[in-house]
Amino acid sequence: MVKFTAEELRRIMDYKHNIRNMSVIAHVDHGKSTLTDSLVAAAGIIAQEVAGDVRMTDTRADEAERGITIKSTGISLYYEMSDEALKNYKGDRQGNEYLINLIDSPGHVDFSSEVTAALRITDGALVVVDCVEGVCVQTETVLRQALGERIRPVLTVNKMDRCFLELQVDGEEAYQTFQRVIENANVIMATYEDPLLGDCQVYPEKGTVAFSAGLHGWAFTLTNFAKMYASKFGVDEAKMMERLWGENFFDPATKKWTTKNTGSPTCKRGFVQFCYEPIKQIIKTCMNDQKDKLWPMLQKLGVTMKSDEKDLMGKALMKRVMQTWLPASNALLEMMIFHLPSPSKAQKYRVENLYEGPLDDPYANAIRNCDPEGPLMLYVSKMIPASDKGRFFAFGRVFSGRVSTGMKVRIMGPNYVPGEKKDLYVKSVQRTVIWMGKKQETVEDVPCGNTVAMVGLDQFITKNATLTNEKEVDAHPIRAMKFSVSPVVRVAVQCKVASDLPKLVEGLKRLAKSDPMVVCTMEESGEHIIAGAGELHLEICLKDLQEDFMGGAEIIKSDPVVSFRETVLERSCRTVMSKSPNKHNRLYMEARPMEDGLAEAIDDGRIGPRDDPKVRSKILSEEFGWDKDLAKKIWCFGPETTGPNMVVDMCKGVQYLNEIKDSVVAGFQWASKEGPLAEENMRGICFEVCDVVLHADAIHRGGGQVIPTARRVIYAAQLTAKPRLLEPVYLVEIQAPEQALGGIYSVLNQKRGHVFEEMQRPGTPLYNIKAYLPVIESFGFSGTLRAATSGQAFPQCVFDHWDMMSSDPLEPGSQAAALVTDIRKRKGLKEQMTPLSEYEDKL
Amino acid sequence: MDVESNYEIDRTANYIFSRKFTRVALQFPDELLKDATKVVRALRQKLRALVECDEKSNREGREAGLFVMADTTYGSCCVDEVGASHINAECVIHYGHTCLSPTSTLPAFFVFGKASISVSNCAETIGEFASSHDKPVLILFGLEYAHAMQDIQETLVAETSKLWRSTSKPNILYAEVLCSTKDPLKDHMIPNGQAEIVGGHKANGKCNAEGETGAGIRYCIGGLTWILLNGYRIEDFLLFWIGPDNSAFTNVVLRFNGCEIVRYDAAEKCLVTDLSQQKRILKRRYYLVEKAKDANIIGILVGTLGVAGYLPMIYQMKELITRAGKKAYTLVMGRPNPAKLANFPECDIFVFVSCEQTALLDSKEFLAPVITPFEAMLAFSRGSQWTGAYTMEFGSLINLPFESQVYSNEARFSFFQGGYVEEQDEKDKSDDQEEVSALAVATEKTLQVRNKSPNFLVKGTAKSGAEYLAARSYQGLGAHDDDSLPMPFLIGRTGKASGYEDEKR
Repeated sequence: MVKFTAEELRRIMDYKHNIRNMSVIAHVDHGKSTLTDSLVAAAGIIAQEVAGDVRMTDTRADEAERGITIKSTGISLYYEMSDEALKNYKGDRQGNEYLINLIDSPGHVDFSSEVTAALRITDGALVVVDCVEGVCVQTETVLRQALGERIRPVLTVNKMDRCFLELQVDGEEAYQTFQRVIENANVIMATYEDPLLGDCQVYPEKGTVAFSAGLHGWAFTLTNFAKMYASKFGVDEAKMMERLWGENFFDPATKKWTTKNTGSPTCKRGFVQFCYEPIKQIIKTCMNDQKDKLWPMLQKLGVTMKSDEKDLMGKALMKRVMQTWLPASNALLEMMIFHLPSPSKAQKYRVENLYEGPLDDPYANAIRNCDPEGPLMLYVSKMIPASDKGRFFAFGRVFSGRVSTGMKVRIMGPNYVPGEKKDLYVKSVQRTVIWMGKKQETVEDVPCGNTVAMVGLDQFITKNATLTNEKEVDAHPIRAMKFSVSPVVRVAVQCKVASDLPKLVEGLKRLAKSDPMVVCTMEESGEHIIAGAGELHLEICLKDLQEDFMGGAEIIKSDPVVSFRETVLERSCRTVMSKSPNKHNRLYMEARPMEDGLAEAIDDGRIGPRDDPKVRSKILSEEFGWDKDLAKKIWCFGPETTGPNMVVDMCKGVQYLNEIKDSVVAGFQWASKEGPLAEENMRGICFEVCDVVLHADAIHRGGGQVIPTARRVIYAAQLTAKPRLLEPVYLVEIQAPEQALGGIYSVLNQKRGHVFEEMQRPGTPLYNIKAYLPVIESFGFSGTLRAATSGQAFPQCVFDHWDMMSSDPLEPGSQAAALVTDIRKRKGLKEQMTPLSEYEDKL
Repeated sequence: MDVESNYEIDRTANYIFSRKFTRVALQFPDELLKDATKVVRALRQKLRALVECDEKSNREGREAGLFVMADTTYGSCCVDEVGASHINAECVIHYGHTCLSPTSTLPAFFVFGKASISVSNCAETIGEFASSHDKPVLILFGLEYAHAMQDIQETLVAETSKLWRSTSKPNILYAEVLCSTKDPLKDHMIPNGQAEIVGGHKANGKCNAEGETGAGIRYCIGGLTWILLNGYRIEDFLLFWIGPDNSAFTNVVLRFNGCEIVRYDAAEKCLVTDLSQQKRILKRRYYLVEKAKDANIIGILVGTLGVAGYLPMIYQMKELITRAGKKAYTLVMGRPNPAKLANFPECDIFVFVSCEQTALLDSKEFLAPVITPFEAMLAFSRGSQWTGAYTMEFGSLINLPFESQVYSNEARFSFFQGGYVEEQDEKDKSDDQEEVSALAVATEKTLQVRNKSPNFLVKGTAKSGAEYLAARSYQGLGAHDDDSLPMPFLIGRTGKASGYEDEKR
């Protein structure tokens, strides 16, 4: 650990070329946190006065208990490079001191919103992959997200110790495995390639891949070995690097390099010969306690052990020896410093992704140049609970300018629209704080390129915001983060004692802040709802709510519930008509399902209310086969004016139609939010206004007459078009050995899931299974699966799509009808659906 | 039951006669309208008899004019003072179910009617109920059962003395009917005493009621009253309601939501203990309060022109809403229905100022939710939080302070938008610079809105009616003709909307 005072740390923060902001990302259980620990142990910055007092990674109790990371934690590392090591470094630098702001993120898919938040404020990522399990689902997800944010990755093949101790594979086999892992990762990176980010694939021979054993605290890159051998062989370091990977073979007998295996028994691949075998030998010697052999070997390698360490035995000895010989911190930190971009470098190409406004305005330029003298642009990516109850630090990254204690800032929330006053506050920062281990230190100011925590803004920021100087009224906000998971699982909470309600309200508010993904809302029935990405996520949220944010007040939670959508199967069997309350106006409508993919296109915002009508009609006619003129007659989208349902005007020559448009739209917004089946949102329905008969007198066709009628006719149209329920479906990925497959299949069958892909992972006994599973069946899925496979299968669920339930909700006794009744009961509605006759009128 | 006793003809006639009213309005709800002629006939006869009887003592007597009023504009439980003043009535005789809200100008006499009830069964049920619980029991009842209360009480006393042998008598408290007449003039003269008796729970608490020895808290709700001695809290009681499941009962349940309540249904002769539906209402109201916090444009619906204090309440609501930085419009439309309210799609929420028993208007049919003044107070005054207390009647709200003491400058958290939403700061307005450019900004804004999204209406985004109109695609017939010369006037169409006279041919 490095002992520092706040002033010393603050000094390095000014060297924008010597800062690396990076996150550690990986699949769950690939050893991120363990690896981070070993880095922190060596280079973590802690405040002078508490040195040796606290453990850095000691965070939440439940994290330790479950063995998974839940919240991302940021740690600053300090590393001083030697001049010799930096001689090949071409980029800008200011001295040899480096500050590395590292964020360890959770690997479980339920918490991937934490990863998103971490990625936003970093420029590089250390992708950790288990050398045995290889690239997994979550590796791919986070990697994709990282590249989407223009984060440059480097890779480390972790858990090397398993190769030597557990599996005891020979060199060539190990090489093949590593090669495959790297290849798989590169395939993903190539898929999401981005011209501005350039080639972001990783190559061991270029030093962008490390090999590590987080548990034992050692790691190496080929650079380490290349340096060692370069002097010995008298060749160039770069050349040596190349020889240590790929199709380069060395025969010690002939002392010759070849590009093919000559077949001679002594001829081995460069990597095996010079990297794998020496390590294997050392480990073997250590494990067998052959100390007489060991010391000369170490001496040759230039490793000196302390006298007390020489008494260690077996594994402990091995660990110690390896840590001294190939310290993980050196290899990984040097890789990061060499190959990950500094803020000033990264912001040049990230500005496009980050800034919403015009890319040539002073704010974009300041971000691009990482200009400490420019206007402040700061993105708050998450809120961190502070030690005094109820308060939060606003944690984020300064992209330009500097933020200082006492400064007045403009807070632009997620709903801020430039030029308006919505979601905009001007407040002053009470304190700017930097983290030194677990301790926070107040500093005068923090310049761009660094992460910072601020006190005093938590009452105005819910989850994230863009901060800028008070007077910079023209600044646009920094783009909101896009999450890869959606909050589809919901539970209703209420307090046991009615008078605790204010506590609950306060608690929910804090919960909403503390997690980037969780959504706290309210049902029509007056119940408070917490929505999260999955069961585990909700469990953690509820625990936090009760214990941390409500001071232990008791709450009652409902069983998890899932929200459904209402849709239609086919076109209405007839044109339905409803009359206005005064009977003088008649609306005729039909409902039909939208074309495949159209609802998704609306979800993604490719088609929406703000489109240019020409562009919209082009997409609609080319991709969805719409008539060009019809595409111009879309009245609106709904619910909330952007939802995946629409009203299209099909009338011909109707008088006063323009007058009632607003009223029909208002009725549609209302109706599409609460469908006739179970008052769930509608999805994928296109309502066609076929004909309208209106009273000649304007007073008799006002909103009061038309709005309720529009709602009724929309309901009638839906009910005559074979209404169906849509349920949310998870994409489940499971990795398990062959013998567990039977159990997995039976559990999936029992839960209405179906497998659509089963693939053996090359070179491993593991299978990769992809399946669809209805969200409603997913509660307890993880536990059942573990029980059925004796703990060998671990599922990862991500919301994937909406799936139509085939049974007819209008037919009594069907599964969908039972569901509808359940939902209606829960919402406190009449259990019976309102019949069609209530909505449709006869001439 | 015959008209005479059911409609309390004797008592009514005496009341009219003793006060020498000459023009009397008889207000009937729709369901009793069929008896109106019988009642008038009987009453007239009785009055005549009284007059004749009186003439003997040589006094100038004039026959009182009786007028029947039907189809009350607002809830039929309230006294229709406006209707009565059309005929210059001097008093109103109100028949049927009533909320006993105080009147503002006219004296009123209430005839509750007499619903049939099995006294023995009811008393038995109460006895059983009381003996199976440790807590004291408070008996409340629908006013139509007031006539039977004396009997029930006596039967019960007889029964309990048989059962318990006087050692551990169940603690039963009976509510009483407040009074069956309302006199605005008299009420106003009594200071601080029984003037505010209807509804609210006395804030200052102690009042020495007649016949009571110790000090206590007087509770009044829907025409019932009772006094709790010091040391008792209403939460300590079990509430026993005799009557049907109507708005009066809902009122009781919501008001005393901390108490355990059971209902004795006199028609079915059974005890109803499942009140989940009523509890649900309370939660739903809570939702509406939260929803109201997000509203920008609020319509104040005038739901009564009779209940005392309705005007101050409307003014208070207006001030409250304006202070909260929102826009208020006052609408008078008689009894609200979905079609009427949907004529004002710009309103995000309506506040319904009415008597306590018609106050709850919650139907899926309404485009925008309707809340009560009490709920509006919760929603629009900053920093106030709902703790479970609830009242539907607005009398006790008048002159309550708007801002609660615990004032933090934290932005408001909206559960519908899932985050902080800005609260229009009053400080903002006082900003000098702002004020100067305010006009320019406003003009710019309207121009922007129209240019950017010509047909883009999101409920709850507009801040005023004008802004909403600007965003509408159709803004009414164009009145922007430059030609401002006076036009000759035309004769419009005549006839009914279903077919004007010129259309029939």
